[in-house]
Amino acid sequence: MEYLIHIGILFAFYAILGVSLNLVVGYTGLLSMTHAVFYGLGAYTTAILLTQFGVNFFLSVILGIIIAGVVGLFIGIVLSRFKGDIYALASFGFNIIVFSIFLNWQSLTNGPLGIAGIKKPSLLGFEFSSNFSFLILSLVVLLLIYLLSQFIVKSSFGRVLKAIREDEQAVQVFGYQTIYYKLTIFVIGACMAAVAGSLFASYISFVDPSSFVLMESIFVLAIIILGGLANLRGALLGALFLILLPEILRFVGFPSDIAAQMRQVIYGLILIFLMLYRPQGLMGEYKL
Amino acid sequence: MEILPQLIFNSIIAGAIYALVALGFNLIYGTTKFFNLAHGVLSAVGGYAVFFFAKSLGWNLYLSVIIGMLLAGLVGYGLDRFIYRPLRQRKVSNMILLVASLGAFTVIQAVIAILFSSQFKTLSQNVGQQQIYEFWGGIITQTQLVILIVGFIIMAGLLILFKLTLFGKAIKAISNDEEVAKIVGINTNKIIGYVFFIGSAIAGLTGILVGFDTGIEPTMGMSLLLKGVIASIIGGVGNIYGGVVGAFLLGFIENFGIWKISGEWKDAIAFAVLIIFLLFKPGGIFKK
Repeated sequence: MEYLIHIGILFAFYAILGVSLNLVVGYTGLLSMTHAVFYGLGAYTTAILLTQFGVNFFLSVILGIIIAGVVGLFIGIVLSRFKGDIYALASFGFNIIVFSIFLNWQSLTNGPLGIAGIKKPSLLGFEFSSNFSFLILSLVVLLLIYLLSQFIVKSSFGRVLKAIREDEQAVQVFGYQTIYYKLTIFVIGACMAAVAGSLFASYISFVDPSSFVLMESIFVLAIIILGGLANLRGALLGALFLILLPEILRFVGFPSDIAAQMRQVIYGLILIFLMLYRPQGLMGEYKL
Repeated sequence: MEILPQLIFNSIIAGAIYALVALGFNLIYGTTKFFNLAHGVLSAVGGYAVFFFAKSLGWNLYLSVIIGMLLAGLVGYGLDRFIYRPLRQRKVSNMILLVASLGAFTVIQAVIAILFSSQFKTLSQNVGQQQIYEFWGGIITQTQLVILIVGFIIMAGLLILFKLTLFGKAIKAISNDEEVAKIVGINTNKIIGYVFFIGSAIAGLTGILVGFDTGIEPTMGMSLLLKGVIASIIGGVGNIYGGVVGAFLLGFIENFGIWKISGEWKDAIAFAVLIIFLLFKPGGIFKK
């Protein structure tokens, strides 16, 4: 049972990341490969505030959102100058730069050794110390983020995003300042990813830079491409599948380090075959 | 050992390695116009092939190097034949090709890690006993000298190939306009296949050289590729000689950058340079 709860919590983290990235990649058509940056910013904010300043977890989440939002705004402004594959490449670059900061700003992040001993969240005297209560907390957060995302994509703002994805120039002709729309959704996605990061740090009670490498961004991208671009339920499905996959491999009998690599083989193959035969993913509405 | 000559040597050696990656990458980009992210991992294919044949099986070293290059070339050719060509014929967007190449990269890297474990390995037999040459107070090892010589031979070879042969002219025609090249009777698929083979074999050779100089690990491909891509963009993407100039420039910026800042920031410096170039000089130094 503990094991299933663990899987459920991991699913919630990646579902949050998937839903938020889908807003940027699926709905707005910006191929961002820098999502692990915001995930990491949230995680490090919580880790540092909880271990060094004894701040309440929920306060640290809010600060994490603000920090990820500010950094997201800066990265978004730079990225908004690019299009298509150059956009993807530059976003790659930001992932590497921020990873490098996590790794090398020793005095703040403790470098490759990471930060240990992060406490579980507590609210009004109740501590989410059991894994089951943490699962409930994660699922509630996921639900809130899902509903918020649904509200965004169904609003008139969301319709403009989809229009930008289809034909940015046409939208500009109608007098929309598309850059503000793109920036706003990028920052919103960044803030949501930071929440997942805060939860992750508190759940694992340890953060180090290796959780926020480029591969992690690619993994989240694989989740939404598999589940379906521009479909929020698709992001959930993709997260569920790609989280269960390594566990299934372990059951089949692969040792865990091989299973980790097998996971990469399989999601690499998934990317290739989807691009060849179904570029919009399982439930998607938009092709890259 | 004096610092300035040593820094200059290090820059030139790094530049030569980046130039080899950039050459292959630019060659492929020039004809197909998409970012082949699987290009770098072929250097790991080359490196590990030599490790397997020369160190595990004890075959002749030069024979193993040739096999390594051929193998990397064949894998590159296979990627084009079975993934990129079918996609190109469907006239898909560059983003789909980019994501498919990302999938190919993930698969190959993970397969290498499964076969050879992800530990760092070195190719040279006599670690620490290499012949060392001293020039003007700077030190250069025998392997590094070989890297420089091989690098310049390949560059000269490609120059001759492009300027003097019909094959070179066909490549130029395809870079200008694939459709028109087809109309005048060039078998574009065949030529692009050869280009993938040559570019990938050069990437394989780069991996082998790096393996003798420092060592090999499954993830070596990504960092090499990214440096090659940065070099290409600095020099002017698709412009083969621009890529070489960009590579040496990047080598100098990186190595002189860490003169004052600590060495771990190398990657961050490289990407900062990339983003600055993309922002202020998106066409690179030698715009096509």
